[in-house]
Amino acid sequence: MELIPILSTIILVATICTFILAIGAYILYKVREGKPQHSYQTKPATVQGELVVPSEAIYTKDSTRVERTNIKNVEPGVTREEYTKQHQPSQSKHTPEPRGYKIEEEKVEKRKVRVRPQERFSDENKFLKYTSEGYIPTQEDRNSGEVKWR
Amino acid sequence: MKINQLVDRAKITISNREDEKKGENLGQKYLRRILVSGIVSLLLILVIVYTLPYTILSFSSLFEYSTIIALVIFLFILLVRYFAILIMAYLYLNEYTFSDTNGYAPFVSIIVPVFNEGKIIRKSILSLLNLDYQNYEIVVVNDGSTDDTKQVAESMVGFQDGKYGKIKISLINQPNLGKARALNAGIYFSKADFLLCMDGDSQLAPESIKVAVRHFIHPKIGAVAGNVKVLNRKRFFTDLQALEYIEGLNMARSAQSYIRLVNIIPGPIGIFRRKAIEQAGYYSSDTYAEDADLTLKILSKGWKIYYEPKSISYTEAPVTLQQLLKQRYRWTRGILQSLRKHKKLMFNPTVNLGHTFILWVMSYEALIWPTMNIAANAFFIFAALFFGFSHLIFFWWAGLAILDLVTALYCVAVEKEEFRLIWYAIIYRMFFILIIDICKTMSTIEEFLGIRMTWGKLERSSSPKSDTIAVNTN
Repeated sequence: MELIPILSTIILVATICTFILAIGAYILYKVREGKPQHSYQTKPATVQGELVVPSEAIYTKDSTRVERTNIKNVEPGVTREEYTKQHQPSQSKHTPEPRGYKIEEEKVEKRKVRVRPQERFSDENKFLKYTSEGYIPTQEDRNSGEVKWR
Repeated sequence: MKINQLVDRAKITISNREDEKKGENLGQKYLRRILVSGIVSLLLILVIVYTLPYTILSFSSLFEYSTIIALVIFLFILLVRYFAILIMAYLYLNEYTFSDTNGYAPFVSIIVPVFNEGKIIRKSILSLLNLDYQNYEIVVVNDGSTDDTKQVAESMVGFQDGKYGKIKISLINQPNLGKARALNAGIYFSKADFLLCMDGDSQLAPESIKVAVRHFIHPKIGAVAGNVKVLNRKRFFTDLQALEYIEGLNMARSAQSYIRLVNIIPGPIGIFRRKAIEQAGYYSSDTYAEDADLTLKILSKGWKIYYEPKSISYTEAPVTLQQLLKQRYRWTRGILQSLRKHKKLMFNPTVNLGHTFILWVMSYEALIWPTMNIAANAFFIFAALFFGFSHLIFFWWAGLAILDLVTALYCVAVEKEEFRLIWYAIIYRMFFILIIDICKTMSTIEEFLGIRMTWGKLERSSSPKSDTIAVNTN
């Protein structure tokens, strides 16, 4: 028996079966999927979502891994810039201020007021005068005897 | 991996607005379309009926001649298409092999939209932490999942150990708005100039970003399409799809890449220049193939799109016939919807010739090619059953099977894929492609009639087979 007629018959039957299978499977798929449809057109203009990001300030300090929850409202949208802006105050709590700046501030304060805490509220030190040597009590200035310009 | 890291939570408002055609009566539109096409067809039949007696042809001979001519044209187009794709793919791969490599490594955001991917989301993210790239972050967008996806994803938020250091993983939880809007939320949140958009069920090969971003050094390249491979193999349907991805999709993409006009950036892996996405107007959810739509929008803005074969994404393919039909139904209708959105540019080549060309190619592939394949098979069945020409179907099958075998051999060799897939080429066209084409044609008819549809969701197996990638990626 020749091979070609046998193969032809096999291929013919296979092709017909494939046709039937494909159409049948498609109909079955449509029957199964025949559920209520929905569309996006009725949805509101904005929806609420939630953003979960790792805390960068804490990461740099390598602190304990305990989950913290800060509920903050970021209005509107979800841009990173806005999110960062909203988080600036909370991040500054964790970030120490530059050391040099603090020391400078203290020095200026000391130079300005050269009085001891217990002397601050006495009548004598109520009024101070600024001189080239810093702040001095007005009584001390009067008793110096120098001629003053008025 | 460290879990339960310190996290910040913020409530956000996500825009749900999109350009929608207001006041359009879709029922009337479709009715008008059916009436117009019906009247045109009737007129054509009347012309044939009235003019036929004036020719030497009878009705039966007209049918025979027209069928034979259609078949010859189909065969001619099939061969031209095959060889054009093979030659262009060869030229592209030749060019690619000798292309220069550079150290361009900009910051990349990986956007992972997930919907009910609780079973496999962890694997997907772990694959991302293993990437051979140092400058990237991961943004997971949970699109209103109803399973444990949210919990699994939240447990991974933090600075996780990557190959070259800590990788930042963020999470956006939003109500179910669809994949397009989930991707947009991630893109909007990210501030990277380059975005890798992928599917939640996909896993990337380690060098996927590194080899793809180097093409962006050319300022005209707006996006790079990756290479999608089937992850869950060793099953009849998934093996056939693995061959289809290699022979049908990737080879065509290689050919398109030769002229820098890749027409679909696949959902499982696409790397975009932010500027190109912004110019294109982000993803749209008015079609069911948001990847095809965005690709066409990017091309219409004059950007070029490249294909990177080494940028590999392994994805779970449908396991059953029902799931396969569901996927192809969505693809077909989505592509047709995208084509309809861009139909004005189809008839106006002066705006962007390359874009017009690619739209015509897509129309041919979506509308004419499946119909021709079904018609050819129907003709041979008819000829065998009613005229006894059963040997014709054998020669038809033998010719196509040899062509497919040779192509499969070439494609498998080029992609260094599994050799055993080649043998599926014997039944590839007569069985697999016929089923797909019937589904495509039915979907096209439904799209023409305007029957409503929904997305659909593939059932994930999370099988042990998915854990191992059995393909040589070198």
